[in-house]
Amino acid sequence: MVSKYFAASVASFVVLCGLLVLNYADIQGHHFQPKLLALTHVATLGWVTMIIFGAMFQLVPVVLEVKLFSARLGEVQFWLFLAGVVGLVYGFWTFNVGLHLAVSASVVTLSMFLFVTNMLLTMGTVSKWNLTGHFLLAALFYLAVTSVAGLLLSINLGFPFISQIHLDYLKIHAHLGFVGWVVMVIMGVGLKLFPMFGLSHGFSTVPARIAFVAVNVGLMGTTVEWLLTGPPWLLHLYIAILVGGILCFVVQLLLIFKHRLRRVLDLGMRHSAVAFGYLFVSTGLGAFIAFVNVGSKDSADAVVLLYGFVILIGFFSTLIVGQMYKIVPFLVWFHTFSDKVGKEPVPMLKDMFSEKIGNAQFLLLNFGLLCVFAGVLGSWNLLLLAGFAFLFTASLLFAFNIVTVLRLRFRYGNKRTDS
Amino acid sequence: MATKEQILDGLKLVADPELGINLVDLGLIYDVSIDEQSIVVSMTLTTQGCPLHESMIEAVRHVVQMADLTKIVYVDLVWDPAWTPERMTVEGKRMLAER
Repeated sequence: MVSKYFAASVASFVVLCGLLVLNYADIQGHHFQPKLLALTHVATLGWVTMIIFGAMFQLVPVVLEVKLFSARLGEVQFWLFLAGVVGLVYGFWTFNVGLHLAVSASVVTLSMFLFVTNMLLTMGTVSKWNLTGHFLLAALFYLAVTSVAGLLLSINLGFPFISQIHLDYLKIHAHLGFVGWVVMVIMGVGLKLFPMFGLSHGFSTVPARIAFVAVNVGLMGTTVEWLLTGPPWLLHLYIAILVGGILCFVVQLLLIFKHRLRRVLDLGMRHSAVAFGYLFVSTGLGAFIAFVNVGSKDSADAVVLLYGFVILIGFFSTLIVGQMYKIVPFLVWFHTFSDKVGKEPVPMLKDMFSEKIGNAQFLLLNFGLLCVFAGVLGSWNLLLLAGFAFLFTASLLFAFNIVTVLRLRFRYGNKRTDS
Repeated sequence: MATKEQILDGLKLVADPELGINLVDLGLIYDVSIDEQSIVVSMTLTTQGCPLHESMIEAVRHVVQMADLTKIVYVDLVWDPAWTPERMTVEGKRMLAER
Protein backbone atom coordinates (compact mmCIF):
# COMPACT_ATOMS: atom_id res chain seq x y z
CA MET A 1 0.00 0.00 0.00
CA VAL A 2 2.79 2.40 0.95
CA SER A 3 4.70 1.81 -2.29
CA LYS A 4 1.68 3.10 -4.27
CA TYR A 5 1.86 6.40 -2.42
CA PHE A 6 5.61 6.65 -3.03
CA ALA A 7 5.34 5.78 -6.72
CA ALA A 8 2.48 8.27 -7.30
CA SER A 9 4.42 10.92 -5.44
CA VAL A 10 7.64 10.48 -7.44
CA ALA A 11 5.58 10.48 -10.67
CA SER A 12 3.95 13.76 -9.55
CA PHE A 13 7.37 15.30 -8.99
CA VAL A 14 8.45 14.41 -12.53
CA VAL A 15 5.14 15.70 -13.94
CA LEU A 16 5.50 18.91 -11.91
CA CYS A 17 9.00 19.60 -13.20
CA GLY A 18 7.95 18.70 -16.76
CA LEU A 19 4.98 21.08 -16.62
CA LEU A 20 7.22 23.84 -15.27
CA VAL A 21 9.51 23.45 -18.30
CA LEU A 22 6.60 23.50 -20.74
CA ASN A 23 4.97 26.54 -19.11
CA TYR A 24 8.01 28.52 -18.00
CA ALA A 25 6.72 31.68 -19.67
CA ASP A 26 3.59 31.71 -17.47
CA ILE A 27 5.50 31.41 -14.20
CA GLN A 28 5.64 35.02 -13.17
CA GLY A 29 3.46 37.84 -11.93
CA HIS A 30 0.75 37.30 -9.33
CA HIS A 31 0.42 33.82 -7.87
CA PHE A 32 -3.37 33.70 -8.25
CA GLN A 33 -3.65 32.41 -11.82
CA PRO A 34 -4.97 29.08 -13.16
CA LYS A 35 -1.70 27.41 -14.16
CA LEU A 36 0.11 28.42 -10.98
CA LEU A 37 -2.80 27.19 -8.87
CA ALA A 38 -2.74 23.88 -10.76
CA LEU A 39 1.06 23.50 -10.46
CA THR A 40 1.00 24.43 -6.77
CA HIS A 41 -1.49 21.64 -6.12
CA VAL A 42 0.52 19.10 -8.14
CA ALA A 43 3.38 20.01 -5.80
CA THR A 44 1.55 20.27 -2.48
CA LEU A 45 -0.91 17.40 -2.94
CA GLY A 46 0.48 15.07 -5.61
CA TRP A 47 4.10 15.29 -4.53
CA VAL A 48 4.44 16.48 -0.93
CA THR A 49 1.22 15.33 0.78
CA MET A 50 1.15 12.03 -1.14
CA ILE A 51 4.61 11.12 0.18
CA ILE A 52 3.78 12.25 3.71
CA PHE A 53 0.74 9.96 3.69
CA GLY A 54 2.90 7.01 2.60
CA ALA A 55 5.64 7.83 5.10
CA MET A 56 3.22 8.27 8.00
CA PHE A 57 1.52 4.94 7.35
CA GLN A 58 4.95 3.40 7.74
CA LEU A 59 6.44 5.56 10.49
CA VAL A 60 3.58 6.23 12.93
CA PRO A 61 3.21 2.58 14.02
CA VAL A 62 7.00 2.27 14.46
CA VAL A 63 7.60 5.57 16.24
CA LEU A 64 4.56 5.36 18.53
CA GLU A 65 4.74 1.56 18.92
CA VAL A 66 1.17 0.82 17.82
CA LYS A 67 -0.53 -1.10 15.04
CA LEU A 68 -1.96 0.80 12.05
CA PHE A 69 -5.76 0.90 12.44
CA SER A 70 -6.53 -0.08 8.84
CA ALA A 71 -4.33 -0.67 5.79
CA ARG A 72 -7.50 -1.22 3.75
CA LEU A 73 -8.74 2.27 4.58
CA GLY A 74 -5.35 3.55 3.46
CA GLU A 75 -5.83 1.73 0.15
CA VAL A 76 -9.30 3.26 -0.42
CA GLN A 77 -7.94 6.65 0.58
CA PHE A 78 -5.14 6.39 -1.99
CA TRP A 79 -7.48 5.97 -4.96
CA LEU A 80 -9.85 8.67 -3.75
CA PHE A 81 -6.98 11.07 -3.15
CA LEU A 82 -5.39 10.34 -6.53
CA ALA A 83 -8.68 10.84 -8.38
CA GLY A 84 -9.45 13.99 -6.39
CA VAL A 85 -6.03 15.54 -7.03
CA VAL A 86 -6.15 14.80 -10.78
CA GLY A 87 -9.64 16.35 -10.93
CA LEU A 88 -8.63 19.37 -8.88
CA VAL A 89 -5.48 20.07 -10.90
CA TYR A 90 -7.37 19.71 -14.19
CA GLY A 91 -10.08 22.02 -12.81
CA PHE A 92 -7.55 24.70 -11.90
CA TRP A 93 -5.60 24.35 -15.16
CA THR A 94 -8.70 24.80 -17.32
CA PHE A 95 -10.26 27.09 -14.70
CA ASN A 96 -13.36 24.95 -14.78
CA VAL A 97 -14.46 26.42 -11.46
CA GLY A 98 -18.06 25.26 -11.23
CA LEU A 99 -19.30 21.85 -10.18
CA HIS A 100 -16.16 20.07 -11.45
CA LEU A 101 -13.83 21.88 -9.04
CA ALA A 102 -16.26 21.59 -6.12
CA VAL A 103 -16.66 17.83 -6.59
CA SER A 104 -12.90 17.27 -7.00
CA ALA A 105 -12.14 19.31 -3.89
CA SER A 106 -14.81 17.35 -1.98
CA VAL A 107 -13.17 14.06 -2.97
CA VAL A 108 -9.74 15.35 -1.87
CA THR A 109 -11.21 16.51 1.45
CA LEU A 110 -13.01 13.21 1.98
CA SER A 111 -9.77 11.27 1.37
CA MET A 112 -7.92 13.53 3.81
CA PHE A 113 -10.55 12.94 6.47
CA LEU A 114 -10.19 9.20 5.91
CA PHE A 115 -6.48 9.62 6.56
CA VAL A 116 -7.02 11.73 9.68
CA THR A 117 -9.57 9.20 11.00
CA ASN A 118 -7.24 6.27 10.29
CA MET A 119 -4.38 8.03 12.07
CA LEU A 120 -6.45 9.15 15.06
CA LEU A 121 -7.78 5.62 15.56
CA THR A 122 -4.19 4.35 15.28
CA MET A 123 -2.93 6.92 17.78
CA GLY A 124 -5.83 6.19 20.11
CA THR A 125 -4.01 3.08 21.29
CA VAL A 126 -0.69 4.81 22.04
CA SER A 127 0.46 4.20 25.61
CA LYS A 128 3.74 6.13 25.54
CA TRP A 129 3.44 9.57 23.91
CA ASN A 130 6.55 11.39 22.80
CA LEU A 131 7.32 14.76 21.24
CA THR A 132 7.15 13.31 17.72
CA GLY A 133 3.61 12.12 18.49
CA HIS A 134 2.57 15.59 19.63
CA PHE A 135 3.91 17.17 16.43
CA LEU A 136 2.09 14.60 14.29
CA LEU A 137 -1.18 15.02 16.18
CA ALA A 138 -1.02 18.79 15.70
CA ALA A 139 -0.20 18.26 12.00
CA LEU A 140 -3.34 16.14 11.57
CA PHE A 141 -5.43 18.94 13.04
CA TYR A 142 -3.94 21.43 10.54
CA LEU A 143 -4.43 18.98 7.65
CA ALA A 144 -8.15 18.78 8.48
CA VAL A 145 -8.48 22.56 8.76
CA THR A 146 -6.42 23.17 5.58
CA SER A 147 -8.53 20.74 3.57
CA VAL A 148 -11.83 22.29 4.74
CA ALA A 149 -10.49 25.78 3.99
CA GLY A 150 -9.40 24.55 0.55
CA LEU A 151 -12.80 23.02 -0.10
CA LEU A 152 -14.57 26.28 0.83
CA LEU A 153 -12.21 28.26 -1.41
CA SER A 154 -12.80 25.89 -4.35
CA ILE A 155 -16.55 26.20 -3.97
CA ASN A 156 -16.23 29.96 -3.57
CA LEU A 157 -14.51 30.26 -6.96
CA GLY A 158 -17.60 28.91 -8.76
CA PHE A 159 -20.33 29.88 -6.32
CA PRO A 160 -19.11 32.97 -4.41
CA PHE A 161 -20.32 33.09 -0.80
CA ILE A 162 -17.28 34.21 1.24
CA SER A 163 -17.68 37.90 2.04
CA GLN A 164 -13.99 38.55 2.75
CA ILE A 165 -11.49 38.88 -0.06
CA HIS A 166 -10.76 35.45 -1.56
CA LEU A 167 -6.99 36.05 -1.52
CA ASP A 168 -6.98 36.62 2.26
CA TYR A 169 -8.48 33.17 2.75
CA LEU A 170 -6.02 31.74 0.25
CA LYS A 171 -3.17 33.09 2.39
CA ILE A 172 -4.63 31.33 5.45
CA HIS A 173 -5.19 28.08 3.53
CA ALA A 174 -1.60 28.14 2.21
CA HIS A 175 0.05 28.80 5.57
CA LEU A 176 -2.06 26.27 7.46
CA GLY A 177 -0.98 23.74 4.84
CA PHE A 178 2.69 24.71 4.52
CA VAL A 179 3.47 25.35 8.16
CA GLY A 180 0.72 23.59 10.09
CA TRP A 181 0.64 20.39 8.08
CA VAL A 182 3.94 19.92 6.23
CA VAL A 183 6.45 21.72 8.49
CA MET A 184 4.84 20.22 11.61
CA VAL A 185 5.21 16.70 10.16
CA ILE A 186 8.81 17.44 9.15
CA MET A 187 9.60 18.64 12.67
CA GLY A 188 8.04 15.60 14.33
CA VAL A 189 9.45 12.98 11.98
CA GLY A 190 12.81 14.78 11.75
CA LEU A 191 13.22 14.62 15.52
CA LYS A 192 13.15 10.84 15.25
CA LEU A 193 14.90 10.23 11.93
CA PHE A 194 17.82 12.68 11.94
CA PRO A 195 19.31 11.44 15.24
CA MET A 196 18.81 7.88 14.01
CA PHE A 197 20.54 8.50 10.66
CA GLY A 198 23.35 10.56 12.18
CA LEU A 199 23.72 8.45 15.34
CA SER A 200 23.23 11.54 17.52
CA HIS A 201 22.95 10.97 21.24
CA GLY A 202 22.84 13.09 24.37
CA PHE A 203 21.40 16.30 22.87
CA SER A 204 18.76 18.49 24.52
CA THR A 205 15.26 18.62 22.99
CA VAL A 206 14.36 21.93 24.67
CA PRO A 207 14.55 23.92 21.38
CA ALA A 208 12.09 21.48 19.75
CA ARG A 209 9.69 21.81 22.70
CA ILE A 210 9.83 25.61 22.45
CA ALA A 211 9.36 25.31 18.68
CA PHE A 212 6.26 23.16 19.18
CA VAL A 213 4.57 25.74 21.42
CA ALA A 214 5.75 28.79 19.46
CA VAL A 215 4.80 27.47 16.01
CA ASN A 216 1.33 26.47 17.24
CA VAL A 217 0.69 29.75 19.08
CA GLY A 218 2.16 31.80 16.23
CA LEU A 219 0.24 29.99 13.50
CA MET A 220 -3.10 29.97 15.32
CA GLY A 221 -2.70 33.63 16.30
CA THR A 222 -1.71 34.66 12.76
CA THR A 223 -4.70 32.77 11.33
CA VAL A 224 -7.15 34.41 13.75
CA GLU A 225 -5.70 37.87 13.08
CA TRP A 226 -5.91 37.34 9.31
CA LEU A 227 -9.53 36.27 9.71
CA LEU A 228 -10.63 39.04 12.06
CA THR A 229 -8.26 41.78 10.80
CA GLY A 230 -7.26 42.93 14.29
CA PRO A 231 -4.59 45.52 15.12
CA PRO A 232 -1.45 45.16 12.95
CA TRP A 233 0.90 44.99 15.98
CA LEU A 234 -0.87 41.84 17.21
CA LEU A 235 -0.55 40.17 13.80
CA HIS A 236 3.13 41.10 13.71
CA LEU A 237 3.61 39.70 17.20
CA TYR A 238 2.12 36.35 16.20
CA ILE A 239 4.18 36.22 13.00
CA ALA A 240 7.30 36.97 15.05
CA ILE A 241 6.42 34.12 17.45
CA LEU A 242 5.92 31.80 14.46
CA VAL A 243 9.24 32.78 12.88
CA GLY A 244 10.92 32.40 16.28
CA GLY A 245 9.45 28.91 16.60
CA ILE A 246 10.79 27.81 13.23
CA LEU A 247 14.21 29.23 14.06
CA CYS A 248 14.13 27.27 17.35
CA PHE A 249 13.64 24.13 15.30
CA VAL A 250 16.61 25.06 13.12
CA VAL A 251 18.62 25.39 16.37
CA GLN A 252 17.37 21.91 17.36
CA LEU A 253 18.62 20.51 14.06
CA LEU A 254 22.00 22.15 14.54
CA LEU A 255 22.20 20.50 18.00
CA ILE A 256 21.38 17.09 16.51
CA PHE A 257 23.90 17.76 13.74
CA LYS A 258 26.61 18.77 16.24
CA HIS A 259 26.08 15.64 18.35
CA ARG A 260 26.18 13.21 15.44
CA LEU A 261 28.74 10.42 15.51
CA ARG A 262 28.42 9.77 11.82
CA ARG A 263 30.51 12.63 10.51
CA VAL A 264 30.30 11.90 6.77
CA LEU A 265 27.12 13.28 5.17
CA ASP A 266 25.76 10.72 2.74
CA LEU A 267 23.59 11.59 -0.25
CA GLY A 268 20.34 11.65 1.73
CA MET A 269 21.70 13.75 4.57
CA ARG A 270 23.44 16.16 2.18
CA HIS A 271 20.06 16.86 0.56
CA SER A 272 18.50 17.32 4.00
CA ALA A 273 21.20 19.73 5.22
CA VAL A 274 20.78 21.93 2.13
CA ALA A 275 16.98 21.71 2.47
CA PHE A 276 17.13 23.21 5.95
CA GLY A 277 19.20 26.03 4.49
CA TYR A 278 16.22 26.69 2.19
CA LEU A 279 13.90 26.56 5.23
CA PHE A 280 16.03 29.27 6.82
CA VAL A 281 15.85 31.39 3.66
CA SER A 282 12.10 30.89 3.22
CA THR A 283 11.46 31.83 6.86
CA GLY A 284 13.46 35.01 6.31
CA LEU A 285 11.49 35.73 3.12
CA GLY A 286 8.18 35.15 4.94
CA ALA A 287 9.21 37.61 7.66
CA PHE A 288 10.37 40.07 4.98
CA ILE A 289 6.98 39.91 3.22
CA ALA A 290 5.16 40.38 6.55
CA PHE A 291 7.23 43.26 7.90
CA VAL A 292 8.64 45.14 4.90
CA ASN A 293 6.64 47.12 2.36
CA VAL A 294 8.40 46.57 -0.96
CA GLY A 295 6.52 49.37 -2.70
CA SER A 296 6.13 48.34 -6.33
CA LYS A 297 3.46 45.71 -7.03
CA ASP A 298 5.66 43.81 -9.49
CA SER A 299 8.46 43.45 -6.95
CA ALA A 300 5.99 42.36 -4.25
CA ASP A 301 4.53 39.72 -6.59
CA ALA A 302 8.01 38.46 -7.46
CA VAL A 303 9.00 38.16 -3.79
CA VAL A 304 5.81 36.22 -2.95
CA LEU A 305 6.43 33.90 -5.91
CA LEU A 306 10.05 33.43 -4.83
CA TYR A 307 8.83 32.64 -1.29
CA GLY A 308 6.58 29.92 -2.73
CA PHE A 309 9.38 28.41 -4.82
CA VAL A 310 11.90 28.43 -1.96
CA ILE A 311 9.44 26.63 0.33
CA LEU A 312 7.92 24.21 -2.15
CA ILE A 313 10.78 23.21 -4.42
CA GLY A 314 13.69 24.42 -2.29
CA PHE A 315 12.80 23.20 1.18
CA PHE A 316 10.08 20.56 0.78
CA SER A 317 11.33 18.93 -2.43
CA THR A 318 15.03 18.82 -1.55
CA LEU A 319 14.21 17.38 1.86
CA ILE A 320 11.83 14.77 0.45
CA VAL A 321 14.29 13.70 -2.24
CA GLY A 322 16.97 13.30 0.43
CA GLN A 323 14.76 11.37 2.82
CA MET A 324 13.55 9.11 -0.01
CA TYR A 325 17.18 8.05 -0.52
CA LYS A 326 17.10 6.85 3.10
CA ILE A 327 13.55 5.51 3.47
CA VAL A 328 12.83 3.73 0.15
CA PRO A 329 16.01 1.60 0.17
CA PHE A 330 15.34 0.73 3.80
CA LEU A 331 11.74 -0.36 3.14
CA VAL A 332 12.71 -2.43 0.11
CA TRP A 333 15.63 -3.92 2.05
CA PHE A 334 13.36 -4.73 4.97
CA HIS A 335 10.76 -6.47 2.82
CA THR A 336 13.27 -8.22 0.57
CA PHE A 337 16.47 -8.97 2.46
CA SER A 338 15.78 -8.74 6.21
CA ASP A 339 15.08 -12.47 6.54
CA LYS A 340 18.36 -13.25 4.78
CA VAL A 341 20.60 -11.39 7.24
CA GLY A 342 23.19 -13.70 8.75
CA LYS A 343 22.22 -16.46 6.29
CA GLU A 344 23.56 -15.06 3.03
CA PRO A 345 25.21 -11.82 1.84
CA VAL A 346 22.77 -8.90 1.76
CA PRO A 347 23.38 -5.46 0.24
CA MET A 348 23.94 -2.30 2.26
CA LEU A 349 21.30 0.38 1.72
CA LYS A 350 23.69 2.67 -0.16
CA ASP A 351 24.47 -0.13 -2.64
CA MET A 352 20.84 -0.32 -3.76
CA PHE A 353 21.00 2.75 -6.05
CA SER A 354 23.61 4.61 -8.04
CA GLU A 355 25.39 7.17 -5.88
CA LYS A 356 26.99 8.68 -8.99
CA ILE A 357 23.58 9.43 -10.49
CA GLY A 358 22.41 10.68 -7.10
CA ASN A 359 25.36 13.07 -6.86
CA ALA A 360 24.69 14.42 -10.36
CA GLN A 361 21.01 14.84 -9.48
CA PHE A 362 21.92 16.69 -6.27
CA LEU A 363 24.01 19.21 -8.23
CA LEU A 364 21.39 19.61 -10.98
CA LEU A 365 18.57 20.09 -8.47
CA ASN A 366 20.39 22.81 -6.55
CA PHE A 367 21.83 24.53 -9.60
CA GLY A 368 18.35 24.48 -11.16
CA LEU A 369 16.87 25.95 -7.99
CA LEU A 370 19.35 28.83 -7.96
CA CYS A 371 18.53 29.57 -11.62
CA VAL A 372 14.80 29.49 -10.84
CA PHE A 373 15.17 31.79 -7.82
CA ALA A 374 17.16 34.31 -9.84
CA GLY A 375 14.78 33.97 -12.80
CA VAL A 376 11.73 34.63 -10.62
CA LEU A 377 13.31 37.65 -8.91
CA GLY A 378 14.54 39.22 -12.13
CA SER A 379 11.66 37.99 -14.36
CA TRP A 380 14.26 36.46 -16.69
CA ASN A 381 12.39 33.91 -18.77
CA LEU A 382 15.42 32.19 -20.26
CA LEU A 383 16.97 31.65 -16.86
CA LEU A 384 13.65 30.24 -15.64
CA LEU A 385 13.57 27.87 -18.60
CA ALA A 386 17.14 26.73 -17.92
CA GLY A 387 16.38 26.31 -14.21
CA PHE A 388 13.25 24.24 -14.86
CA ALA A 389 15.13 22.13 -17.41
CA PHE A 390 17.78 21.34 -14.77
CA LEU A 391 15.04 20.52 -12.25
CA PHE A 392 13.27 18.26 -14.74
CA THR A 393 16.52 16.40 -15.51
CA ALA A 394 17.14 16.06 -11.77
CA SER A 395 13.62 14.70 -11.25
CA LEU A 396 14.20 12.06 -13.96
CA LEU A 397 17.52 10.98 -12.40
CA PHE A 398 15.86 10.81 -8.99
CA ALA A 399 12.98 8.75 -10.39
CA PHE A 400 15.50 6.45 -12.10
CA ASN A 401 17.27 5.81 -8.78
CA ILE A 402 14.02 5.16 -6.92
CA VAL A 403 12.81 2.78 -9.65
CA THR A 404 16.19 1.01 -9.46
CA VAL A 405 15.57 0.41 -5.75
CA LEU A 406 11.95 -0.67 -6.22
CA ARG A 407 12.95 -3.13 -8.95
CA LEU A 408 15.06 -5.06 -6.42
CA ARG A 409 11.84 -5.95 -4.67
CA PHE A 410 10.45 -7.55 -7.80
CA ARG A 411 13.73 -9.20 -8.72
CA TYR A 412 14.20 -10.88 -5.35
CA GLY A 413 10.54 -11.30 -4.47
CA ASN A 414 8.52 -10.29 -1.44
CA LYS A 415 8.95 -11.78 1.97
CA ARG A 416 6.15 -9.83 3.60
CA THR A 417 2.77 -8.71 2.39
CA ASP A 418 2.01 -6.08 5.02
CA SER A 419 3.04 -3.11 2.92
CA MET B 1 29.42 -26.88 21.73
CA ALA B 2 30.06 -23.24 20.79
CA THR B 3 32.00 -20.93 23.09
CA LYS B 4 31.05 -17.30 23.79
CA GLU B 5 33.92 -16.17 21.53
CA GLN B 6 32.73 -18.34 18.65
CA ILE B 7 29.22 -16.95 19.01
CA LEU B 8 30.49 -13.36 19.04
CA ASP B 9 32.60 -14.10 15.95
CA GLY B 10 29.46 -15.42 14.24
CA LEU B 11 27.51 -12.30 15.20
CA LYS B 12 30.07 -10.20 13.36
CA LEU B 13 28.30 -11.42 10.22
CA VAL B 14 25.20 -9.43 11.15
CA ALA B 15 25.59 -5.80 10.10
CA ASP B 16 23.37 -2.75 10.34
CA PRO B 17 22.39 -2.17 6.68
CA GLU B 18 22.48 1.62 7.07
CA LEU B 19 25.94 1.84 8.63
CA GLY B 20 27.51 -1.35 7.32
CA ILE B 21 28.98 -2.04 10.77
CA ASN B 22 28.39 -5.34 12.55
CA LEU B 23 26.43 -5.56 15.81
CA VAL B 24 29.44 -6.64 17.90
CA ASP B 25 31.66 -3.72 16.86
CA LEU B 26 28.71 -1.33 17.29
CA GLY B 27 28.58 -2.49 20.92
CA LEU B 28 24.98 -3.66 20.60
CA ILE B 29 25.59 -7.15 22.03
CA TYR B 30 25.56 -6.70 25.80
CA ASP B 31 26.05 -10.29 26.89
CA VAL B 32 26.04 -13.90 25.78
CA SER B 33 25.35 -16.42 28.53
CA ILE B 34 25.54 -20.14 27.92
CA ASP B 35 24.27 -22.96 30.12
CA GLU B 36 23.63 -26.63 29.46
CA GLN B 37 20.33 -26.14 27.68
CA SER B 38 20.23 -22.64 26.34
CA ILE B 39 22.07 -19.62 24.99
CA VAL B 40 20.77 -16.19 25.95
CA VAL B 41 21.92 -13.16 23.96
CA SER B 42 21.21 -9.81 25.54
CA MET B 43 21.32 -6.99 23.00
CA THR B 44 20.09 -3.48 22.25
CA LEU B 45 19.75 -1.12 19.26
CA THR B 46 21.07 2.40 18.82
CA THR B 47 17.60 3.98 18.84
CA GLN B 48 14.44 2.93 20.63
CA GLY B 49 11.67 2.44 18.10
CA CYS B 50 14.21 1.48 15.41
CA PRO B 51 12.26 -0.23 12.60
CA LEU B 52 15.05 -2.78 12.24
CA HIS B 53 14.54 -4.48 15.55
CA GLU B 54 12.49 -7.43 14.29
CA SER B 55 14.94 -8.42 11.56
CA MET B 56 18.00 -7.90 13.75
CA ILE B 57 16.62 -10.15 16.51
CA GLU B 58 15.74 -12.80 13.95
CA ALA B 59 19.20 -12.60 12.37
CA VAL B 60 20.94 -12.87 15.75
CA ARG B 61 18.78 -15.85 16.72
CA HIS B 62 19.56 -17.58 13.42
CA VAL B 63 23.33 -17.02 13.59
CA VAL B 64 23.56 -18.23 17.20
CA GLN B 65 21.40 -21.26 16.43
CA MET B 66 23.68 -22.16 13.53
CA ALA B 67 26.66 -21.98 15.88
CA ASP B 68 25.05 -24.47 18.26
CA LEU B 69 22.15 -26.58 17.04
CA THR B 70 21.77 -28.45 20.33
CA LYS B 71 20.56 -25.55 22.49
CA ILE B 72 17.54 -23.28 22.68
CA VAL B 73 18.42 -19.70 21.72
CA TYR B 74 16.81 -16.70 23.40
CA VAL B 75 17.39 -13.12 22.29
CA ASP B 76 16.56 -10.43 24.84
CA LEU B 77 16.18 -6.92 23.42
CA VAL B 78 16.86 -4.52 26.29
CA TRP B 79 16.73 -0.72 26.47
CA ASP B 80 18.21 -0.40 29.94
CA PRO B 81 21.05 0.39 30.02
CA ALA B 82 20.66 2.46 26.86
CA TRP B 83 23.29 2.18 24.15
CA THR B 84 25.95 4.87 24.17
CA PRO B 85 28.71 5.48 21.63
CA GLU B 86 31.32 4.50 24.24
CA ARG B 87 30.15 0.91 23.85
CA MET B 88 31.58 0.71 20.31
CA THR B 89 34.84 -1.17 19.85
CA VAL B 90 37.92 0.61 18.50
CA GLU B 91 37.27 -1.10 15.18
CA GLY B 92 33.63 0.05 15.25
CA LYS B 93 34.66 3.65 15.87
CA ARG B 94 37.18 3.45 13.06
CA MET B 95 34.56 2.12 10.64
CA LEU B 96 32.04 4.77 11.68
CA ALA B 97 34.53 7.55 11.02
CA GLU B 98 34.65 6.44 7.38
CA ARG B 99 30.88 6.32 6.88
